[in-house]
Amino acid sequence: MNELSTLQPGVALAPDQGEAPAIALGAGDGLDAHTRRTLLQQERAIARKYTSDPRKMWPYTAVTLGCFALWLAFWPLAMLDILPLWLGFVASTVFAAGGYITSHEAMHSNIGRPGTKARFWNEAVGQVATIILIFPFSMARMMHLHHHYYTNDPDKDPDYTDAAPGKYSAWYKTWLNRQPGVDGSIHHYKRILERIGTPAAKAALRDTMILQLFSMAFFFTMAWSGYAMEVALLWWLPRHLGLSYIRFWLSWAPHHPRTGTGRYDNTRVFRTWIGHHLSMGMQYHVVHHLYPEVPNHMTRYAYREMKPLLEARGVDCSPLKD
Amino acid sequence: MTTAIKQLFHWMPFLFGIGFIAPLIAQMLQYWQVAAPVGLSPIQFGLLIGAPWGLYATLRGRWL
Repeated sequence: MNELSTLQPGVALAPDQGEAPAIALGAGDGLDAHTRRTLLQQERAIARKYTSDPRKMWPYTAVTLGCFALWLAFWPLAMLDILPLWLGFVASTVFAAGGYITSHEAMHSNIGRPGTKARFWNEAVGQVATIILIFPFSMARMMHLHHHYYTNDPDKDPDYTDAAPGKYSAWYKTWLNRQPGVDGSIHHYKRILERIGTPAAKAALRDTMILQLFSMAFFFTMAWSGYAMEVALLWWLPRHLGLSYIRFWLSWAPHHPRTGTGRYDNTRVFRTWIGHHLSMGMQYHVVHHLYPEVPNHMTRYAYREMKPLLEARGVDCSPLKD
Repeated sequence: MTTAIKQLFHWMPFLFGIGFIAPLIAQMLQYWQVAAPVGLSPIQFGLLIGAPWGLYATLRGRWL
């Protein structure tokens, strides 16, 4: 394989080194086919190094199932006044937002590939992780993969409704899109699934209906039995806060301003003010869209290695120093 | 069946106002030991707020 230094236009092939190419290569779309192919090969070689190994993904399973078990235990503990409600509320909010990350790995089969023994755990994680969000795995997976296929397409990207001109309006939009009469968030997903109309889409719609009806029946029964505050603080409010957090950090922040639809411009590299972990590693979302098989916790390392290749493709990596 | 379910979801904000918001308001009043106004019981007050609020959300499509 060629070394990057012989391929990266305008860097190592500078005329002052006496190695200028016969025909100058432009950056980004200006690359010739040979360069593009070689860059892609190098990119893939790096991605392979960081591709998820299901044998090493067990922490995702352990955390998901452990947090779900804890969340279930919160109910009797809170009802018996053993667990302070504020503590249950804080933990449930973390579980609600964090659950999407583990579910997201399951959506891309990173915890267990189809046909392997680990597949059971992949599906278990997916099914359990977003229950607090009242967001069934079948719908989440289908809509997320759709988002990958049609990123930033105003008509086909299920997450396009998160578009907003600035961060404050983006936070507002996370709430607005969940309103009953607004075509955003899960309402938008339902409409897309109806349009797709395949058996899998119908199954996802059915799962959504069942989970929504079950959760509402649970809410109403518990509330009228004297446990409305427990429901509010262990499920209802954590769900809303979790969804807003996810929508902002996982959808708006890495895709803003949602103008690019190409492989290298449908995400953006950005600097986060709340730190790597609280922004869930979304500064490196470009790596995820290029190689979804790289798990979330490895995208940072893959990005650092891929950075010269991404810059050669025209990705603006300047917001991040490393 | 599909129509019935769609209707159920259409009216869900109203049901949510009665099924969840009303008892939540009542239990919040009791928790903070605040009396409901004009001699109403906590749940009567909760329903007085929750049901119209849910109806508003159903008809207008927004909670606020």
